[in-house]
Amino acid sequence: MSALIVLIGAIIYLVSYFTYGKALEKNVVKVDTKRETPAVRLRDNVDYMPANKFVLFGHHFASIAGAGPIAGPAIAMVWGWLPSLLWVWFGNLFIGSVHDYLSLMASVRYDGKSIQWVAGKIMGERTKTVFELYVLFAMILIIAAFMATFTALASKSPEILTGTVLFIVIAVIEGLILYRTKIPFNLATIIGVIMLVLVIFISFKWPFINIPDPHTLYILQFIYIVFAAALPVWILLQPRDYLNSFLLYAGLALGLVGAIITFRGFSWPAFTTFSARAVGGQPSPFWPTVPLVIACGALSGFHSIVGSGTTSKQLDKEISGLFVGYGAMFTEGFLSTIVITSIGAFGLEVLGAAAAKVTELGVDMAQLTAGGAYLGNNYVKAANAVGGTLAVFTKSYGMMLNKAIAIPATFGATFAGLWVSAFVMTTLDTTNRLGRYAWTELWEPVKNASAGLYTFLSNRWVASIVVAAIGLWLVWGNTYTVLWAGFAGTNQLLASIAMLTAATWVKNVQKAGKWATAVVIPAIFLWITVFVALVWYLIKVVPTLAAATKVPMYIFTIVMLILDIILVAQFFVSYRKGPELEKTKT
Amino acid sequence: MQTFFFLGKGGVGKTTLSAAFASGISNEGKRTLVVSLDPAHNLGDAFAEEIPCKIKHLSKTLDAIEVDVDRMILEYLNELSSKLKHTYRYLSVMNIDRYFDILKNSPGIEEYATLEGIKKFVFEECYDTVIFDTPPTGITVRVLAMPKISLIWTANLVSMRRKILSRRKMIENVRGKFEAEIEGEVLELTSEERNDPIMQELLIYKKETKALSELFSSDKTFVNIVTMAEDLAYFETKRIHESLTEFKIHLRKIYLNKFLRIENPPPEISGKIKEQERVTEMMKDHFKGIEIREVPMLRESPRGIPQLLDLYEKFIQ
Amino acid sequence: MSGFLERLKRFLKGLEIGMREVSTSLIEKELEEYENVFALITMGIFSGIPSPPTGIVLRILPYMSREISVMVKRSADLDDVFAETLSHFDIG
Repeated sequence: MSALIVLIGAIIYLVSYFTYGKALEKNVVKVDTKRETPAVRLRDNVDYMPANKFVLFGHHFASIAGAGPIAGPAIAMVWGWLPSLLWVWFGNLFIGSVHDYLSLMASVRYDGKSIQWVAGKIMGERTKTVFELYVLFAMILIIAAFMATFTALASKSPEILTGTVLFIVIAVIEGLILYRTKIPFNLATIIGVIMLVLVIFISFKWPFINIPDPHTLYILQFIYIVFAAALPVWILLQPRDYLNSFLLYAGLALGLVGAIITFRGFSWPAFTTFSARAVGGQPSPFWPTVPLVIACGALSGFHSIVGSGTTSKQLDKEISGLFVGYGAMFTEGFLSTIVITSIGAFGLEVLGAAAAKVTELGVDMAQLTAGGAYLGNNYVKAANAVGGTLAVFTKSYGMMLNKAIAIPATFGATFAGLWVSAFVMTTLDTTNRLGRYAWTELWEPVKNASAGLYTFLSNRWVASIVVAAIGLWLVWGNTYTVLWAGFAGTNQLLASIAMLTAATWVKNVQKAGKWATAVVIPAIFLWITVFVALVWYLIKVVPTLAAATKVPMYIFTIVMLILDIILVAQFFVSYRKGPELEKTKT
Repeated sequence: MQTFFFLGKGGVGKTTLSAAFASGISNEGKRTLVVSLDPAHNLGDAFAEEIPCKIKHLSKTLDAIEVDVDRMILEYLNELSSKLKHTYRYLSVMNIDRYFDILKNSPGIEEYATLEGIKKFVFEECYDTVIFDTPPTGITVRVLAMPKISLIWTANLVSMRRKILSRRKMIENVRGKFEAEIEGEVLELTSEERNDPIMQELLIYKKETKALSELFSSDKTFVNIVTMAEDLAYFETKRIHESLTEFKIHLRKIYLNKFLRIENPPPEISGKIKEQERVTEMMKDHFKGIEIREVPMLRESPRGIPQLLDLYEKFIQ
Repeated sequence: MSGFLERLKRFLKGLEIGMREVSTSLIEKELEEYENVFALITMGIFSGIPSPPTGIVLRILPYMSREISVMVKRSADLDDVFAETLSHFDIG
């Protein structure tokens, strides 16, 4: 079964690539092999230079793949494997990949300018501000959501915690080797990979760092974030980033091999119940709340930022766009498919192995394994026995590898855990840096009122601490599913901007005629879904939050909803404007 | 070697006193050079001789020279222009001609050229004494302060440059020699301090500036103010003293020039005499540790070395 | 067979070049920022911001073609700094 699902997934993606994808390329983007891309036309060897499409694919894919495509589906299993899989396949196919591909190509047509800039041009200046505010909220929510998810995992797994800490150490060492010595690059890379394997091995055999208290972990992460984000990039962030890609490819490859070789049936039910308790222990109707759970993997606004920020400036030919933009998103969807497969085949076994702890939490094992609504309503609760839904994935992955290639299950689980934590830690670092930047921008108006205050607020350390502290505050009393939904929500809102921009571009600039519906319908569907989901979140979830954090989350959510309305209003205005809109030449 | 700076407003007699001092000191046997940095260039009038912009021997022990700061500025800009044309010929973004209009009038260029002028003579081995007749006080104070300010800037630029070079080195370690293409030409970007022309310039500049800064604050440098016993002059002198102190430069003497010593002053100038007394008291009171000398108003402005020598022996020595 | 090996070799070579680029992309961005600031400060004289004494500027100006070209490029892209900076960081 596992092999079957994986193969079906691969086939769906491949077939769609060559049919739907190619159709988009021809009729919507209207790729012209004779038109030079900005990488060629504006080449300056600083930001603009054509890159080999395989290299670009690798870079783009590694940038968009993080902990998202793993953590999201792990929670979404609460509805059963079929709904999650369908969203990962068809949500990705009709919305996500279209979003990624069009953001990339629209940017290419506008001299490599970002999607924010293009949105400003096509949908009006106000859209730029909406974008920036969404990003600021996202930064803070990401810090909270990722801290929470990681803590749930690491507090129950000293192996993963040890691995995470050791990874920091080897990243610093790798940085020194790569950048401060003359050791040849290939050798340095091999050393890095060896160190990685050693770390996994040591963490699995001698997990000497054990901190089960979540609050301690929150504080430690807070300290880590503040210091890591203050360092020059070469010391930690850059070598981390580099080593992460090895974990990613290994994880993907081993997962694929594992899924196919084990050839295992799914013990997990295809469908539990429509309103399984996914977010904050509340009954969450699959529609509209699934985008609040599965973001990357199906659809992610951050991809448009990466695609239109760096990738579009390095695209060598228009015809490579489909492979890089569309293809990379499919690959990420494929990654999520493997996650679902892994839990589908081994998830219940994982929970069964921790039966004693699960029962302690008040969940009845027999009813759980019987499937159906009980599983839907108690999955997230039961998962806390092993380290949250993410742990259900890492352990099932370990079991899958064990059955397939006879690696000890804990070793495989540690590897998977390290894979996820590596991306989480890197994201926390970068989000803090960016949050710092956005925070400083936000306080610009204060400069005129009080220069002293502004200097204080925009001080690097102050900004860094404040942003991380807000994230810490949000995470303190709340569960990871609630914060994850908040993050996913902002992510989808960013995707809405990109999709609506793409839709306007496709209709008014590209004049794609009836093919525009391929973009407009998903864009509107997305907008409606996310809007309703956020309203649901506001009414059903925010009231259940820890008292101290209720007010800011209310404010966040309401502000985001208001901005969302402004956004769709801008869309309708510019959509109707029609042929007046000219493609600008920079 | 000792260095003397005579500061003062236009018209207070600073040039005359500098010339007198030069005459006196050289007469005592010290090999002396007197340099005029003042654009007003009255040194020639004081010595009753033409003083060119090359060293002129006025006596066996006295040399004089007038520095044309404006010409120096033009020379620097021309040199820059030729260097720039070489490296920037393809940077069409820059309109080189307009550059120079801005630079020519930029704040600091006059001070820079004046400082360069000072630098030329202040490390000379073959003189025992160098005397500077300075430009108007505003510029001179800025000029004297400039080395300390420059050092701060230079330190920052050096540290910034080090950050740039170290990152280039890191990238080099992974990707090999760093080449950048600028407007069609390939430039190798160096990562070593010794190959980086910018770093080398900064380090040389730092060394020179440090030497100057230390010299100005040393006991070998004597900064004197030539002024008059008037209220406004008192406040100005106070301000100059504060500025100099801020930059650790010692004020040595204050000359109250054109001092009125009149036996029976007519009523028209009795107010002036009273002011003079008052200001002299204030100065003696405020500037403790600094010698205050009264140089009386002479019947005629001294011209030529013998008259200057006389002035020196009577009131300055 | 040899054709396939040839293609494989080229693929691996491309992969290696890609990896080298990836492993330094953030450092390169940081470097550009420093070069940009260095140029801005040196040229501050032309834009009314505090700048080093003219003397220093005159001496190093002839060697700053690279830094100035980075600065000029950056100022042309000023209207898109936010999202461009964002894109360099892994968030997904």
